Parts: sequence; C-alpha cells; structure tokens
Amino acid sequence: MIEVKNLQKRFGDNHVLKGVSEHISKGEVVAVIGPSGSGKSTFLRCLNRLEEATEGEIYVDGELINGPKANINRIRQKMGMVFQHFNLFPHLTVKANITLAPVTLKIMSKKEAEEKALYLLERVGLSDKANVYPASLSGGQKQRVAIARALAMNPEIMLFDEPTSALDPEMVGEVLDVIKDLAQSGMTMVIVTHEMGFAREVANRVLFMDNGVIMERGTPQEVFGNPQNERTRLFLSKVL
Amino acid sequence: MDWVENFKSEFFRCFIREDRYMLLVKGLGVTVKISFFALLLGILIGFLIALCSLSKKKPLRAIGKVYTDIIRGTPSVTQLMIIYFVVFASVHWSKWIICAIAFGINSGGYVSEIFRAGILSIDKGQTEAGRSLGLTSAQTMVKIILPQALKNIFPTLCNEFIVLIKETAIVGYVGLMDIQKAGDFIKSATFIAFMPLIATAVIYYVLIKLLTLILGKVEKSMRKSDLR
Repeated sequence: MIEVKNLQKRFGDNHVLKGVSEHISKGEVVAVIGPSGSGKSTFLRCLNRLEEATEGEIYVDGELINGPKANINRIRQKMGMVFQHFNLFPHLTVKANITLAPVTLKIMSKKEAEEKALYLLERVGLSDKANVYPASLSGGQKQRVAIARALAMNPEIMLFDEPTSALDPEMVGEVLDVIKDLAQSGMTMVIVTHEMGFAREVANRVLFMDNGVIMERGTPQEVFGNPQNERTRLFLSKVL
Repeated sequence: MDWVENFKSEFFRCFIREDRYMLLVKGLGVTVKISFFALLLGILIGFLIALCSLSKKKPLRAIGKVYTDIIRGTPSVTQLMIIYFVVFASVHWSKWIICAIAFGINSGGYVSEIFRAGILSIDKGQTEAGRSLGLTSAQTMVKIILPQALKNIFPTLCNEFIVLIKETAIVGYVGLMDIQKAGDFIKSATFIAFMPLIATAVIYYVLIKLLTLILGKVEKSMRKSDLR
C-alpha cells in the first residue's frame, strides 16, 4: 500500500533522512520508535508530503506521489493525519471541525457530513461535545476530535505523529484506546510514538529509527524481546 | 450677556445664513463616500499585496516589498496629488472617485502589512492540518487561516480605518469640498475661525465615535469562540 524507496531529506546542511526504504501493506499497523531527532517524524511527514523529500520515491497504491504529475490533494484525502499538537481549528465548533473538509471538498453534503460527524464523535466517546469550541476541551478530548476529523474523510491510511506526547499522563489512555480500536478495525496505520507499551501491544511491526535510517525492523516480539542492533538495545534499555 | 448675543450672531453667520450648514452636510457626505470606497479598495489591495509578500515566488515578494515601501515612504498628500494631477490627469471621472482610488492605494500599503502580520500569527500547524485533509492552499487560506487572522488583526484594522477617515481631510488640495474644506470655506467667507473649525472637529469626532461603537460590537461577536 505504501512503498518508500531510498527516501532522503535534507534541511540545508542537516541530513535528516539518509535513505529510508520500507514497504507497508494494507491493514498493517506500523509503529515507528526511536530517539528524538532520529528522523521518525520527518519520515512520517514525507509520506503525505507535508515535508518534501529531497530524494527518493514514495508510492501509495502503486502511484508515485512525489512526482511532478502527482495530485497531492487527492492523495491526502485518503491519508488522514493526527498531529502531536492536535491542530484543531479554534474558530470552529467540534462538529464544524469535522465537517469542514468533506463539505468543502464536496465529498459529502452538509447533512451527510454532520451525520458522519455525530457518528464519529460517538465512536470516540464525545457525543456531547459536538457544539462546543475546541478551547473548552481537555487535551485528550482535543486529540480524539482530531482523530474523528481525520476519519471523516474516510481515509485508507492514518498517520499519527506522536499523538500522545503533548498530553497530560492521565489522558494518554483515552487517546490510545481510540487508536487501538481503530487498529482492530483493520485500518492501515503508521504511528510515531514514545509509548513503548502501546507500540508492543498494537503494532504488527515496529521500526526502530536512529540517525536518519531504519536501524531495525520486525514484529514487536522481535524488536522489544530480542533486539539485534546495539543501538536498539541501548535505546530500549533507556526507555523501558 | 454680551457674549451670548455675540455667540448667537456668529453661529447665525457661520451656519444659518446662506444655508452654510449645508456645506458641512455635503462635506460629510463626501468624506464618508471617499472613506468608504477607499476602505474597500484598501482591504482588497492590502490582502493581495500581503499574499504577494508571503508568496514563495521571488518576483511576487518583490512586488509586495516595493509597493509597501513606496506607499510608506512618501506623504499621502503627495500621492494624492500625483494620482490626481498626473495619473488621472486626462481621465474625466468624478473627483471623489479619483480621491477614493488614491486613498485606497495608500491604505492598501498599510493594510497589507496588517494582513501579513495577521496571517503569520496563525500557527503553521493550522495550515498543515488543513492541507493534510486534502484542502488546497486557497481553501485552507479562506476557511482556516483568514477567519482566525481577521479576528486577530481586527482592532489594528479598525485603527487603520480611523486613520484613513482623518487622512481624507487633505482632499481640499485637489479642490474637493469635504468636511475640512467646508469648515475652511466658512472661515474664509465669514472671517470667523472658532465656530467653523470647532464644528469641523466635532463632526469628525462624532463620525469616528459612531464607527468605533459599531466596530466594537462587530469585534465582540467575532470573539464568541474564545473563552477569554
């Protein structure tokens, strides 16, 4: 479903991604772990071209998405993204946050989008918050709305960029539960996370990134239980 | 009670005789007309120039920079006279329309900087959230960035409107009878300075006070999404 070939990214002199290649199949839940500055967020952001790759190719469903002919807006419609800092639209109510994209892009009528929004809010456990503004929500609630907003576009792939890193500890659980639920529904997901327990429990596959490359990859049992790479062992010994 | 009689007689000479108050009324109309259309034009130009200044394309950025540079670097009365006597010299439009255009161009230079600051004040994450949902950059600008930016810059924008209204008091230079010119005219006709000039000041003050009250109401309704 997603095929990445020799992805490189430079910010000026800073060589952040030094050739990442990876294949992600449909229905897979892939957790990307690694120390800060290892390039894992950049890798994720290159997948929907919020960052432009300096070199390399990215295919989604066999279609090259970082070529000159790619229609990135159409491709992004099937790749939902959830950010560390939620990025809800503060001037819109929760419901309007969710319906904005499908209505603006004429994918749904206003009525359909609103029904979908209410359904999604129920799914993330926030039915009673449809008409409030984001400012009155807690961090965990904001992130659940952000997930609902991404799901409103009926994406085939969901990208999570450290979805719980900005949350108070007691709110991490409610967000992880929603993501877990989503994983069980068969959604293809790539999750950049520092929650090792969560990665172990939910992911089919774990990628350990360090210094701009994927150092190790495997099932959670392999990576967490019996890491082969010295860097992986060192990292896990610090965080587990 | 000499001064009361004196006041009455001066008031009569300044405003009642020969229906001189009508000069001020008509002047008010001219000021309002010019300010209103200059305001609309200024917002339009200001927004476009702000987009140029924020563009990724170098030539567009250069246009934005040069425009604001020239507008801010020259007096508005000079700009008005150049536009009136040079640019529109051979065009026979109503004087007030040409003045409105001149002030619109002038105001656009200042408004563009206000818009630019407003757009820059919105977190990059907002754009990323919009784009990640598949919205185009134009849709993201209109639906997500501008509504938030407008709310932030509204007080500054109001300030610019007020400055603009008062700035139009120089249209007398090209022979247009606005409030200021009307007051001045009455002063020359009657040799009384106090009455017409104070009347001029009061009219401007009331006009701007009314505008401030209305804009204050608008701002309040814009703030309903924040809990501050």
